[in-house]
Amino acid sequence: MSAPRWVGKDVPRVDGLEKVTGSARYTADLKFPRMLHAHVVRSPHAHARVLGVRTEKAERVPGVRAVATGREFPFHTGIYLKDQTIFAIDRARHVGDSIAAVAAETPEAAREAAALVEVDYEPLPANFDAVAGIGPDAPLVHPDLGAYECVPWIRPRGGTNICNHLKVRKGDYRRALAKCACVFENTFAVPQVQHVALETHVAVARADLSGRIEVHTSAQSPFTVRHLLAACFSMPHGDISVRVPAVGGGFGGKAGIGIEPIAVALAMKARGRWVRLLIDRPEEFYGTVVRQGLTATLTTGIDRSGKVQAQKMHYLWDCGAYGGYGVNIVRAAGYTCGGAYEFPNVEGDSIGVYTNRPVGSAYRGFGMQEIHWALEQQMDIVAREIGMDPADFRLLNCLGPGKSTVTGEVLGEEAGRVDECIRRVAEMIGMRENRPRSPNRGKGIACAVKAPAMPNDAASSVLLKYAEDGTLEVLISGIDIGQGLKTVAAQFAAEAMNMPIEKVRVRGNPDTDSFPYDWQTVASRQSWATGNAIFRAAEKIRDQLFATAAETLGVPASELAVEEENVVHAKSGRSIPITKLAMGYQFPDGHTIGGPVAAAGSFIPEGLIHLDPETSQSPKPVAKWTFGAQAVDVTVDPETGEYTVDRVAACYDVGRVIHPAMIAGQLYGGVVQGLGTGMMEELVVDPASGRVANASLVDYKIPTTEDLPREIRLDFVETPQADGPLGARGIGEHTMIPTPAAVANALFDACGIRILDLPITAEKVRAALKRKEKGG
Amino acid sequence: MLLSRFEYAAARTVEEAVSRWGESPGAAYLAGGTDLLTQMRIGKRAPRLLIDIKRIDDLSAIRERTNGDLSIGAAVPLAAIAEHPIVRERYPLLAECCTRVGARPLRSRATMIGNICNASPAADTAVALLALDAEAAACGPSGSRAIRIADFFTGPGETSLLPGELVTEVVLPLAASGWRGAYFRLSRRRGMDLATVGVLVARSNGEDPGRHRVALASVAPTPLRVPEAEACLDRNGAAAAPRAAEIAREACRPITDLRGTAAYRREMVGVLVRRGAAALDRRTK
Amino acid sequence: MTEHTITLRVNGLEESRTVPSNQTLLSFLRDTLDLTGAKEGCGEGECGSCIVLVDDKPVNSCLMLAVEADGCSVTTIEGIGDASRLHPLQSAFLAHTAVQCGFCTPGMILAGLALLRENPSPTEAEIRSALSGNLCRCTGYRQIIDAVLAAAAAMRGEAARAPEEKTG
Repeated sequence: MSAPRWVGKDVPRVDGLEKVTGSARYTADLKFPRMLHAHVVRSPHAHARVLGVRTEKAERVPGVRAVATGREFPFHTGIYLKDQTIFAIDRARHVGDSIAAVAAETPEAAREAAALVEVDYEPLPANFDAVAGIGPDAPLVHPDLGAYECVPWIRPRGGTNICNHLKVRKGDYRRALAKCACVFENTFAVPQVQHVALETHVAVARADLSGRIEVHTSAQSPFTVRHLLAACFSMPHGDISVRVPAVGGGFGGKAGIGIEPIAVALAMKARGRWVRLLIDRPEEFYGTVVRQGLTATLTTGIDRSGKVQAQKMHYLWDCGAYGGYGVNIVRAAGYTCGGAYEFPNVEGDSIGVYTNRPVGSAYRGFGMQEIHWALEQQMDIVAREIGMDPADFRLLNCLGPGKSTVTGEVLGEEAGRVDECIRRVAEMIGMRENRPRSPNRGKGIACAVKAPAMPNDAASSVLLKYAEDGTLEVLISGIDIGQGLKTVAAQFAAEAMNMPIEKVRVRGNPDTDSFPYDWQTVASRQSWATGNAIFRAAEKIRDQLFATAAETLGVPASELAVEEENVVHAKSGRSIPITKLAMGYQFPDGHTIGGPVAAAGSFIPEGLIHLDPETSQSPKPVAKWTFGAQAVDVTVDPETGEYTVDRVAACYDVGRVIHPAMIAGQLYGGVVQGLGTGMMEELVVDPASGRVANASLVDYKIPTTEDLPREIRLDFVETPQADGPLGARGIGEHTMIPTPAAVANALFDACGIRILDLPITAEKVRAALKRKEKGG
Repeated sequence: MLLSRFEYAAARTVEEAVSRWGESPGAAYLAGGTDLLTQMRIGKRAPRLLIDIKRIDDLSAIRERTNGDLSIGAAVPLAAIAEHPIVRERYPLLAECCTRVGARPLRSRATMIGNICNASPAADTAVALLALDAEAAACGPSGSRAIRIADFFTGPGETSLLPGELVTEVVLPLAASGWRGAYFRLSRRRGMDLATVGVLVARSNGEDPGRHRVALASVAPTPLRVPEAEACLDRNGAAAAPRAAEIAREACRPITDLRGTAAYRREMVGVLVRRGAAALDRRTK
Repeated sequence: MTEHTITLRVNGLEESRTVPSNQTLLSFLRDTLDLTGAKEGCGEGECGSCIVLVDDKPVNSCLMLAVEADGCSVTTIEGIGDASRLHPLQSAFLAHTAVQCGFCTPGMILAGLALLRENPSPTEAEIRSALSGNLCRCTGYRQIIDAVLAAAAAMRGEAARAPEEKTG
């Protein structure tokens, strides 16, 4: 097969020009006539009964046009577990929980009125700790948990704070453990962190006087928004239109449904006026969503050769006040709890716990960075204890073709080569160099794996159509959140149609009214799913072109091909320009055949088998795995605990590199975001009040240009994904998964200390060094 | 993040600024505005009137006086101070401390005098001004006066300025020119951040007593000098670095906050003072 | 007074408007002049998405009042180039794939422009320092730094080099 023409090349980003000229319009850039400004009334209490809400004073503020409260909209919503109402009704569950909202002519009037909404609270005992949350005395965050609707593969436990519990049972853990030569047990902790997309959440909604709802929103999942709005407000899907303009970053924080229901509730009361709800930066931290926290206890039993024979994982997830999306992270982490390793005997429990903290939801990696923080340090601890090189230990235990995961899935040849990734990063960082050991310098390695955590029917579809000049328009409802999806779609379409990429126009700002369905832009699934849909649609486009061309040329369609905007018949050397076919073909005598050429294509993952409810065993629980590894080297200043990550090496088996510069961008960006969570990020919640203490970029720090390592080296393995477009699988999330663990492992190599809880601050390093100096 | 309504007036002279304040007590003087607007957005301050001092020519310049002292006007942004040839040559410590505040765009607007009037215990420019024996000139409803920087900071966010007093300039003495040293700073990330701990150690070229400076940021209610540590270095030079470090450790009064614990800060004061003092030998040759 | 008439040059064009005292320069640009390239990412001068040039200096426009811009010359992303004629920084950001979600891009380019006007031959360290007030969550900064280095070379009249291979 000849090399692809567009795939694998650094084509210019199709949305680059609009972004560098400032022409791209994000939701807050859009102007709507006589738009009202919304402000949300939020609970100051972490846990309280809401006894009454009075809005008379608020309604009298000049300029106020709508006030909405929980009792007017008593509808539950939640993508997997319906545990949240649009506004809290009887009970506020975290500081920042929405109680009511106001829409007014000016932001000042909205704010003034919101302050005049009177709420009677009866504070309740609050709990901010997941471990305490499963204790017998823990206050129940959702007393009615047992009555909530949820999808069949999520298992909440009514009467407790447990919103989901996934069990993995493979082989016979206890028997295997008893025979192990050595056993290691450690507990690791990950705090809540926040996405900090540069564009905050924003939604603009109107309910016109005919009853139609239109929503413009910065979102990753317009069809999910429509679906959940329809469910929430009991409306037909066809009467709700959700539109997504340019999106300034998502990272999972704009997945599922977010602030749209509040905007819609206000719009319904504002009778035909546009209502904009714009979340400011502080509100992002307590009024939208965060990544869940985790306490993970791992027990590892090895045989004399260093092979792990028994592995136990106990995850307690801090889901925050609502777990509608978070329950799936609990599940995905559970069935991936073996990471990149083959563990023959496994006991895994992944438990999601409600607390009175900000709401945990999807975040890049979907639980993977959190569990790898634990697992990759545990593997390192074991390797060091038995005197084995950390890379060799991983190579001895890692997954590969013929090996089985914790759910009993036996991987095929196409699953990807984590062993190759480990080898390459070890070499790139120089892990085994015969080097004189520099004091306070060290190298560490960690590997990573993730599969999309989606319902088995998560699908993507596209529409392809021609314009009169032969431009091929590609309508996708996957969202370019920065990862480059529009460009990838253009590459695939141009490749499929063997045409100049300059004649492709990707329409990637969907309107659910007129665009084809796409489940969500999450799970690192878009290049794969939308890509497949594009190739399938292209096949139908060709069929239509060939049908018309066959008739005009009088040749079999099977002898035709597309080449450079022509349909060609190689045998005779004749060809017809696509421009003459795309709108129908007219013979010289006036007779016309064919018609406008357009086609839909869709892709749904096939062959996925549900996990066994008691053991999570399944021969094919997920559509695809992406494996990878990273290695870093660090320099430590032992007197201060400050350390520098000097170099990072990263290698992933991506199936096919679609766009070298864009995939590099995913890696650089993911590594830096990984360093952020590894080194400096933590949502600090005041233990007395439950208030977020660092709800500001002054005190919630993310990496800057000055925090970027000196060097990041990249490499890729391309083991084709059998059902991927040109063999591609996903990469968007994977790039930040192993980074913190690699840093922790490098710190151990450098100065013999291990930090078990994120983030790895200088102060923690210094404290660990002092304990080590004292012989602790 | 809203700014509530207020009135705005641009003064043309210092007298006009002070007089407008007199008509509207509770007004705020507006220089760079980077601290003020942020505080107004979170409701920490709510002045009804902002008196913009940036149109006052007298306040917008860096001027060498006839006696060789250098006057820096209240409205001069940090970037302009850090780039000024006389500041760079004679007061490099001040230039360095100015560049540690925020990032370049912030320094286009934020002023040094605004930085000290905001009086954060972490104010980076304060340690340099303390070390260089700077003096502020203030003008208010009761007239003008000079305030030594050592007397300027009285608590977190508090200064010895009386209501309505406007700092018009800070003067750096000629005697402080040529002081060399370094400003060591720990923060949560390498990029723009408030200091977790800031330590400035410097010395003049002479051999007289009083030729050392040790100034600390972010480890006490105000930025402060540690005269006992300075005297220790005067007596014994760089060899006294460990002892000076111990004195500084004992003199500071750090708190635990989002950036670090009191214990860590105290320990780091010792480490950084020791390093700063030991490095002085190498710097002043 | 709570309303003021201001006159300023924005991207070379004179604009005269009456503005409330409490309107920021950022809001004036976005809401009054529909120049939405500058963005509000934080409202407190921490993220750099709002950066524009005021009298050629990079400024967080969320921390500046419109009234303070009276008599000034403001340059926004809309004023430095367009599809028919891109500024070398814009071309370099495209060539080096230094754009992902694009939200930080206008502020980032203008901060880079301010740097290159002051320092036409910056080192990588100087670029990192000049851009340290511009947060980006998508790119990890590497390709942005490369783009600024390339733009600097182009603006000095040096021959363009293709972006370095970073993969494989």
